[in-house]
Amino acid sequence: MEDAVRAVALTKTYGTGDSAVVALDRVSLTIAPGSVVALLGPSGSGKSTLIKALGFVSPAEQGEVFFRGQLVVRDGVPLADLARLRRSHLGFVFQKANLTSFLRARENVEIACELAGKPGGRARARELLAYLDVAHREDAYPEALSGGEQQRVAIARALANEPSLVLADEPTAALDSVRSRIVMELFKKVAHDRGAAVLVVTHDHRALDVFDALYEMEDGRLRARSPGP
Amino acid sequence: MNLALRDVRRHLPRFLGTAAGLGLLLSVVIAMQGIYAGMVDDATILTRAMRADLWIVQRETRGPFAEGSRLDPSVEARAAAVPGVRSARPYTYQLIQRERRGEVMRIALVGLGWPDDPGHTLTLVQGRTLRQPHGELIVDASLGLGVGDELVLAREPYRVVGLTRNALTSGGDSVAFMTTADSLLVAADQPPEATVLERQRVLERLRRTDLGRGQPGLEDLPTDTRWRAPALSSPPLAAVLVQTDPHRLAEVRATIQRWGDVAAYTQAEEEELLLGGVVQRARMQIGLFTAILTLTAAVIVMMVIYNLTLEKTHDLAVLKLMGAPGSRLLGFVLQQAWLLGVLGYGVAFTIGELAYPMFPRRVLITPTITLLAPIATLVVVTLASLLGVKHVTSIDPSRALEG
Repeated sequence: MEDAVRAVALTKTYGTGDSAVVALDRVSLTIAPGSVVALLGPSGSGKSTLIKALGFVSPAEQGEVFFRGQLVVRDGVPLADLARLRRSHLGFVFQKANLTSFLRARENVEIACELAGKPGGRARARELLAYLDVAHREDAYPEALSGGEQQRVAIARALANEPSLVLADEPTAALDSVRSRIVMELFKKVAHDRGAAVLVVTHDHRALDVFDALYEMEDGRLRARSPGP
Repeated sequence: MNLALRDVRRHLPRFLGTAAGLGLLLSVVIAMQGIYAGMVDDATILTRAMRADLWIVQRETRGPFAEGSRLDPSVEARAAAVPGVRSARPYTYQLIQRERRGEVMRIALVGLGWPDDPGHTLTLVQGRTLRQPHGELIVDASLGLGVGDELVLAREPYRVVGLTRNALTSGGDSVAFMTTADSLLVAADQPPEATVLERQRVLERLRRTDLGRGQPGLEDLPTDTRWRAPALSSPPLAAVLVQTDPHRLAEVRATIQRWGDVAAYTQAEEEELLLGGVVQRARMQIGLFTAILTLTAAVIVMMVIYNLTLEKTHDLAVLKLMGAPGSRLLGFVLQQAWLLGVLGYGVAFTIGELAYPMFPRRVLITPTITLLAPIATLVVVTLASLLGVKHVTSIDPSRALEG
């Protein structure tokens, strides 16, 4: 089976001269379909930069990114329509839910289907909201949803385009431990049920047992970490 | 899914409030255009209503509307005798101010050449044309008089027999039509004391001359009621209106132009004199005012659209991150701008329908304004949305990842 995403020797530096900060230092990472991977590390270690590079939002200056076996970015140069890749194959979940404020819960999911060109967006949105147990709040605006509900809707939105890769940047930072675990379990369920690769940036060490693999970043360098404290 | 409409639905009161504000501004812009169009129409309506081929006025004047024109009454007969002239009729024009039931009325009195012209060139909305050489009036409905009402002018009652609509001067004064003879009477109206004193002065002068002493019968003349004191000369005509045989206008005009005491203008030239002279300054004033208001409206719409877009920066960044095509996000901004324009124009139109008739000056919404106003509104809101569009294109999708 092809890797969902493979990064090879990604390097990115912010600033120049003495003030230069190496955010990614020859980072290589492979995520297989159906796996849930955690990315740990302190603030400023380069986690978000890696997420942006893997999400085709802000490519690394050097290195290559393969997506489902195809080279799509080389040394910061896009070799494919990155916006199209994002809307068709990637799902994003953020620290805050970042739902579109003027759309109802169902519409937030529906718009993702529509952007990806998936037909039957409304039905799919309802199905996903039911899958994530928030179908009863489909007509609510984001501000009327609790933090947990918002994050479930955000996950539903991330799954709307049947993504090959879901990138989640500290998705449980605003949730209590019970809800955090529920969300992490959801990612695992999504990965295993739907075959999507899931990369979760997290500081939360209480639910690491959920993940298939753990990585840790420090000063722009990535290393595999064994499960356990 | 139409994002623009979804956003409007979510913030409906604020959006409607903004549209109402824009509508008020647009209604003022349209009103300014309408007032200008009304002023032009008012300025030319009098000349058009007279349906004359040539206007004969005092030499070296641009009368009778742009400046005073005084013609000897004999000009009427002289004009009528010119080959190619079908008819010549006297025309008087004067502004008077009277009080009626405690209200000040400014009236432009126009004399019609009775009996040839009883007012059949006027468009009456009620009543009839003049049927008597004395004591009848046709007035504009804006004066507030009805058919059968009486107005005292020169100490004599005049009965309203017909009503016109929108017969106004360029200054917005209502026009009243009467026979030329009546209008001359009104113009010559003066206190009886002035006539008595002038008679006494004439008698004294006569008694000091050999002629007066030798011809005692001359003293009877000033006591005749039809006598008019030479010092209080009879008011001359303002113009003589000429209708010519078809295709002989140029020839008739050339003949009359050769007379040393008059000038002759065609209908089009007379209108041009009015617009160029009387209305020109107002035209520039209103034009500048309209331009400033239009610019103000554009800037306000620009800031409103920009702020609406700015507030949604994060939402738009998320949509960009999700891969929303740029055209879709630009469409989002443009559609909202257009919707704002359409609603604003709707508000302006409604305000116009309700409020313009109550304006002291006539607001004439011409077909051109009706056609151009919505197009101009759409152009303005489209241009005004460019700042918002620029902001959308500059949003970095990675902002969505920054919490």
